[in-house]
Amino acid sequence: MEIRGVLIDDTFAEAFGMRGARIIITAKNAKWARESANKLTGFATSVIACKCEAAIERELAPDETPDGRPGMSVLLFTMDSDSLPKRVVERIGQTVLTCPTTACFDGLPDSPDRIAVGKPLRTFGDGFQGSKVIDGVRYWRLPVMEGEFLIQETFGKAAGVGGGNFLILAESADAALDAAEAAVDAMAGMPGVILPFPGGIVRSGSKVGSKRYKSMIASTNDAFAPTLRAITKTELPGGVNSVLEIVLDGLDFRSIAKAMQVGIDAACRTGVHSITAGNYGGKLGPYHFHLRKIMSGDVEDAPKQDASK
Amino acid sequence: MSDRITLTLRASLAHPLSAGAIAPDHFAGLTAQEIAALELWDGRTSVALGDVFTVDGEHSSNVLLEGDLAQLHDVGTTMAAGSLEIKGSIGNALGARMRGGAIAVQGSAGHDVGTAMAGGSIVIEGNAGDRAGGALAGASKGMTAGDIVVRGSAGREAGARMRRGTLFCGSVGDCAGLGMIAGNVIVAGAIGDGAGIGNKRGSIVALGGVRVPQTYAYVCTYRPPHVLLMLRSLRARYNVGVDDAHLHGLYKRYSGDLAEIGKGEILEWQTA
Repeated sequence: MEIRGVLIDDTFAEAFGMRGARIIITAKNAKWARESANKLTGFATSVIACKCEAAIERELAPDETPDGRPGMSVLLFTMDSDSLPKRVVERIGQTVLTCPTTACFDGLPDSPDRIAVGKPLRTFGDGFQGSKVIDGVRYWRLPVMEGEFLIQETFGKAAGVGGGNFLILAESADAALDAAEAAVDAMAGMPGVILPFPGGIVRSGSKVGSKRYKSMIASTNDAFAPTLRAITKTELPGGVNSVLEIVLDGLDFRSIAKAMQVGIDAACRTGVHSITAGNYGGKLGPYHFHLRKIMSGDVEDAPKQDASK
Repeated sequence: MSDRITLTLRASLAHPLSAGAIAPDHFAGLTAQEIAALELWDGRTSVALGDVFTVDGEHSSNVLLEGDLAQLHDVGTTMAAGSLEIKGSIGNALGARMRGGAIAVQGSAGHDVGTAMAGGSIVIEGNAGDRAGGALAGASKGMTAGDIVVRGSAGREAGARMRRGTLFCGSVGDCAGLGMIAGNVIVAGAIGDGAGIGNKRGSIVALGGVRVPQTYAYVCTYRPPHVLLMLRSLRARYNVGVDDAHLHGLYKRYSGDLAEIGKGEILEWQTA
């Protein structure tokens, strides 16, 4: 398959199950909502070292938020259920509670699985906190130097998908970056999906483990590193001098597949040789995003199984 | 099965009747004959509902009451679901101990609206008597959940001893929020004397001014985030008369009742 002269490799991206929460941050204006969201999602690119993966999902208009103020929607994912509340609580506690004018709400209100967020954070109020039940939902009011911080007591928890990806193989580093930026721009704001890496782009894709250092749980993906072409088992076609990766986490298979479809299409441009994806032979995760199937328009869910089956 | 059961008063009531049997969720499993056979109480003697009302419809939890019902008390007692619409005014203890469902009154209601209410909503287009959202006689706490909206005025002791839930009124008489444990009393207009006396953790939101009792202390002027959330919710669900200036405006916060534990508050909206 080719799109505008760019080869779409006959392979699949292999993704795994995660647990996620959607955090709605509102503030006096979009500037402060974004400021808080940027801090909350800082150093959250990969569970390999950051314990969670998080990014801004999209900006929210006032009529989309619980309190009618400008807001930001953030998705945060962890590898297991137990660590999700820890990561959510510590990050909100340090980056939303501390940020002027913000309030914090659950973005998955229909989820029956709940994690305590405002409840543990309330103790910052040192006994001076109070609660309000509004429309059947309990909120905590924490007295702070600025005035009051309002946060919902519990947040919804969802079974998400992490590690959706595609690789852009290009003739030059500039062409790879141009294509990756175009892909990120095209995917920006798509619901249920985040791109947790800087600017949504990864230059240092990894393989599991290390050939030389036993303590490393991940190391450079030498098969796609152009400078190693002569001394490793390369997967780079001739003429490819740079590779960038887009990694996607999402609330469900379909959201990621739709985003990949849009992103790959945007990345198919001059200077790009081909698009491929990272997988581990199907051994790592149960979610398989077949590039050619997705680019043919089939983005339907294939839970826990190979999407092609 | 009918879309709705309509009860139409046959003749004006000469004396008070207790109509605790009229509750929509009770009607859902009843035929028209069974509904007509339910007992209403005139003191110690009972009278069949069918002798007082014509019954049109059956097997429905949507009920319409028509007529001059100011002498009909205890309607909607303990109702847990369904809807009850009242065309006209209604007597005392409307929706007492109700746990769910919705009551809408086109006229006014008597005393003790939503006494010990534990869920659902009551919306009164006219006025309400004393102790709306209050407690049963001798009980330690009033309403524990749900919403009461009185677009007109409510009488004395509105929200007295309420534990949780929200009471919104156009105006209220003396001693609103008397002995509140928690919950919210929101008043669009005038508030009588003695608001929030004995308040423990409750919130009284005064959009039209208030005489703050001596046992409250002014603490600051700020934008309380929970008031924004509450008013938006009330406006969306009940179309109550609050505007954006109330949502986003500044409020003077008074802590009290300091003769109690002092964790309650009176929030007085400040005109720009």
